[in-house]
Amino acid sequence: MDAQLDQLREEAIAAIAAAADETALDLARVKFLGQQGTLTSLSKGMKDLSKDDKPRIGKLLNDVRAVVTAALDTRKAALLADADKAVFAGVDVTLPGTATSFAGKGSLHPITQLLDRTTGIFRRMGFALADGPDIETEWHCFDALNTPADHPARNEQDTFYFADGRLLRTHTSTVQIRTMEKAAPPVRIIAPGAAYRRDEIDATHLAQFTQMEGLYVDEGVSVADLKGTLEFFFRELFGNDAKFRFRPHFFPFTEPSYEVDIKTSMLGATDRWLEIAGCGMVDPAVLEAVNTKRGDRAFDPEKYTGFAFGFGLDRLAMIMSGTPDIRYFTNNDQRFLAQF
Amino acid sequence: MQTSLNWLRELVELPPTVPALVDLLTMAGVEVEGIARTGCDIANVVVAKISESIQHPNADRLSVCTVDDGSGTPRQIVCGAKNFKVGDKVPCALPGAELPGDFKIKAGKLRGVDSNGMLCSAKELQLAEDADGLLILSPDARIGAPIGELFPGDTVLDLEITPNRPDLLSHAGIAVEIATLTAKTLTRPAGPSDPVIAGEAPTVAVESSAPCYYTARRITGVKVGASPEWLRARLESIGLRAINAAVDVTNFVMMASGQPLHVFDAAKLRGKLRVRQAVAGESFLALDGKSYTLAAEDIIIADDAQVVALAGVMGGSESGVTETTTEIILESAYFDPATIRRTSRRLGLSSDSSYRFERGVHLDGVDRASLCAAKYIAEICGASAVSLTAEAGHSTILAQRNVPRAAIALRSTRVAALLGISVSDDRIAQILTGFGCVKVADGWQPPSFRADLVREVDLIEEIARVVGMDEIPAKTTARFAGASATDRNYDRAMILRRAFVAQGLHEARSITLVPAQPLGLAYTQTAPESLQRVKNPMNDDQVVLRPHLLHGLLTAVTTNLRAGGTSVRLFEIGRVFSTRRPEEFLHAAVVLSGPLGERTWRAGEGRAADIFDLKSQLSAVLGEGVTFESDSNPALALSLVIEFSGKPVGFAGQLWPADARALDASASVLFAEIDLAAMWKLSVPDAAKKYREIPRFPATTRDIAMLAPLSLAHAEVERTLVSAKEPLLAGVELFDVFTDASGAKVPADKKSLAYSLTYRSPERTLTADEVNAAHTKLKQRLTSQLGVALRE
Repeated sequence: MDAQLDQLREEAIAAIAAAADETALDLARVKFLGQQGTLTSLSKGMKDLSKDDKPRIGKLLNDVRAVVTAALDTRKAALLADADKAVFAGVDVTLPGTATSFAGKGSLHPITQLLDRTTGIFRRMGFALADGPDIETEWHCFDALNTPADHPARNEQDTFYFADGRLLRTHTSTVQIRTMEKAAPPVRIIAPGAAYRRDEIDATHLAQFTQMEGLYVDEGVSVADLKGTLEFFFRELFGNDAKFRFRPHFFPFTEPSYEVDIKTSMLGATDRWLEIAGCGMVDPAVLEAVNTKRGDRAFDPEKYTGFAFGFGLDRLAMIMSGTPDIRYFTNNDQRFLAQF
Repeated sequence: MQTSLNWLRELVELPPTVPALVDLLTMAGVEVEGIARTGCDIANVVVAKISESIQHPNADRLSVCTVDDGSGTPRQIVCGAKNFKVGDKVPCALPGAELPGDFKIKAGKLRGVDSNGMLCSAKELQLAEDADGLLILSPDARIGAPIGELFPGDTVLDLEITPNRPDLLSHAGIAVEIATLTAKTLTRPAGPSDPVIAGEAPTVAVESSAPCYYTARRITGVKVGASPEWLRARLESIGLRAINAAVDVTNFVMMASGQPLHVFDAAKLRGKLRVRQAVAGESFLALDGKSYTLAAEDIIIADDAQVVALAGVMGGSESGVTETTTEIILESAYFDPATIRRTSRRLGLSSDSSYRFERGVHLDGVDRASLCAAKYIAEICGASAVSLTAEAGHSTILAQRNVPRAAIALRSTRVAALLGISVSDDRIAQILTGFGCVKVADGWQPPSFRADLVREVDLIEEIARVVGMDEIPAKTTARFAGASATDRNYDRAMILRRAFVAQGLHEARSITLVPAQPLGLAYTQTAPESLQRVKNPMNDDQVVLRPHLLHGLLTAVTTNLRAGGTSVRLFEIGRVFSTRRPEEFLHAAVVLSGPLGERTWRAGEGRAADIFDLKSQLSAVLGEGVTFESDSNPALALSLVIEFSGKPVGFAGQLWPADARALDASASVLFAEIDLAAMWKLSVPDAAKKYREIPRFPATTRDIAMLAPLSLAHAEVERTLVSAKEPLLAGVELFDVFTDASGAKVPADKKSLAYSLTYRSPERTLTADEVNAAHTKLKQRLTSQLGVALRE
């Protein structure tokens, strides 16, 4: 029996290897594993075996069946791949493209649309674009922004880190620092970009979100400029009837600091104040951190003051479009995208 | 921070309405997260004693009660509850009372029996969510007393305190804030009188390296019972459970002053109290009944035998004060905020106490809170003696106690410069004095409890908060802003996006964190070691920063097909990451699968997109200069290198059918991905484009048809023609490709190609002879160099 099985296995594998197409392969399958197949017939002989031999031969039979089945599968995949190869080998990819476009209109992502609108408003106010890397140093993300060494945001529970100690920026405020390192006042920039936090993902949270950052540092910049700039911006974005308020708040990198709330009634939602932005006067400690890094007094806080602001585009887009779940913005479902 | 308005009212006059107070606090930077009514102050609900109860003659489930409501006249009320007995005291709503839910109580008859009021459950008075029968009151309750005496009505605000203001984590702190904002004076309620100071102070020692100041005092001869009604009510109003008088006093003083306190049962302590670092692995059974394994960085309080408290976080379960306690050790301390935060976070154990310590308690408040709590405990628990405090701590911390703060110079010009509005010196003085600052020769000395006031700008912030944004004028300044490199890239990317949209594509935006094995690694020939891997991913789906946009787009293929879509047409422009410098790159990518259009009456089923559709789309979007070179990436069925001015800038290709099926796609899946910075470096910016003369003389075309080996690429034919540098040749257009596997019309190993060649001269109209000569030369070149057979 053992010898028979060995031989059978060898024969089956040879036959499978020799099968030149799917028909031949199927014949091989029937020959060995079919109802009348040789392996099946051998299995039927099991009942005549002695009680001692039964388990051993049974296992051997199963092993052979498994080997043969695997060989069949492998060969089938190879034959299919060969067939695919034959089909594609004949394709001349250097043939010119044929002028075609999809019927129906395409669409810009709703976040891109909002980003472009907000960028446009700030550009009309004389802000230039700036950017910085997503992978940041702890210094740019926290130290330079006057964040205490033991601040909870630095914790590995809240922030993504890399083995080399760098991190994924938790806010686009890093671009304030990146810009001031290189430029001299006046600095008047906006910086849209991605930021990351280790938030559990749900209808209103993603581990990654899109922020719009702004910074203006010059001689004589005051809270009045901050107010005027953001008032203009929100009226442009929401219309002249927009109701909003500046509520004092705390951020390590600005002082005084404010959060901006808007009345949601004008967006067709239930009437309440909703926080949409953070802002404030650049903390002198931030300017001093930049000076120290630069090794000069280019941003002397006695001479220059500035304001900074930041807001999340995803949440704003959710409110403005009535999108109930933030995950729609990253699912890339065309039924959603085509609505905008 | 749960804040009781009844409590605040004892300290400061509040604005007339709750909304006015909420607005005042909100606009001063103290956000109100919730407003809750607690207690019960409904008029005409009084304490009544049930003096008699008999079965209702006409209803099995009702009884007829006679109650004493303190008026002197017995009152008959029909009642449906079963949980009372004669002699119980219960709330009784008299006729005229209005219960929640617009429920007016009137005298009337119930099933033929007079009923002059209603006996109430806790639910009916909104004292509980649910109730099973009447609310049985304390036997001590005074008959006829308004229910509000037992359950004082209160409004409780849930305040969100920003991390820079630990001083606001107390009723006293909030009161100071309100007094300053409204220019009112604080009231200091008289507490209990000073206790008799006697007895031996406990022994304490600090052996920890983390900064701290630790005090303890002994209170002897106490009887620890339940707290008096006023104390219970105060704690319950802000959501704290009354436990026993000693523990309740510590919580009360913490909520009043912001200083966390702890009481030990002296009989359960062995030897001296030491503040030390925990031994790694040491275990501690806390008051919450759970056992915690400590780390060496934790600070604990231990006696000679065991750990008795996790410093600043929670006391031990075995050393707490109970009804049997007769001698109390009262702890009041300052612990290092960072250490407490780390311990609390690591153990996932947070308490009102740890919340305050990790934000920083007021060093000079430690002794004051200890004395205050000792007074209350002495009064309520009847102590025979209160010892002085034993204290221990780090010299640096001890040296900081009761030291006047350094004065902060404040220039009114600077206030005006930063706020954009000038604030009078008088008003500045009023504001800062209100916050507890003292004017000294060289500036303002902040109060010791305001650790956040250190610099001039900190004082200006206080002024800004009180002045409010409404008073500050809005000013608009503009500057001329030159376009930065980021501006130019932004505009170019936007132009590209709109070009993709014009081709009928939808813009995708995918998460940049992708699995450790993102889809398409082999297609873009990305080396696994070039992946930027996050050290602390949240899950397996977001482990590395995407090395290309392909992962998101291929995932979207499946998403859309599973959602029932048939045609996928997406593009994305975004950052991708590599360990290769400069680490972050701006890429554009496209994915196409399925029909080019919906089924229509005219065209029927739309044709499925193929590699030539992709090429034409890319040519349309990327513009002049883009070319495609055949590639042989074995991971793809068809592969191309996208080139710009002869240099590679990206990949395009078609997935093997098996890989497409793995994405749930039955049609071809095509993609392209381009490095935009590389492309922009090579492309001519729109602004730099130059005029090329528009042809003035007519062109002539001549066709060439040929039989070529199947393997001969079109690119080869084109190259052969163009490289002839025939000056008159202006264009080569392939207009027919034909093969026949049966060999009937064209031999099976050959294909028929047909080209249209355009000849033109910029100087003159060409003669037929000139064109024929050039055309013949090119035909000869094809036959000699490529071995094709021309079909004339």
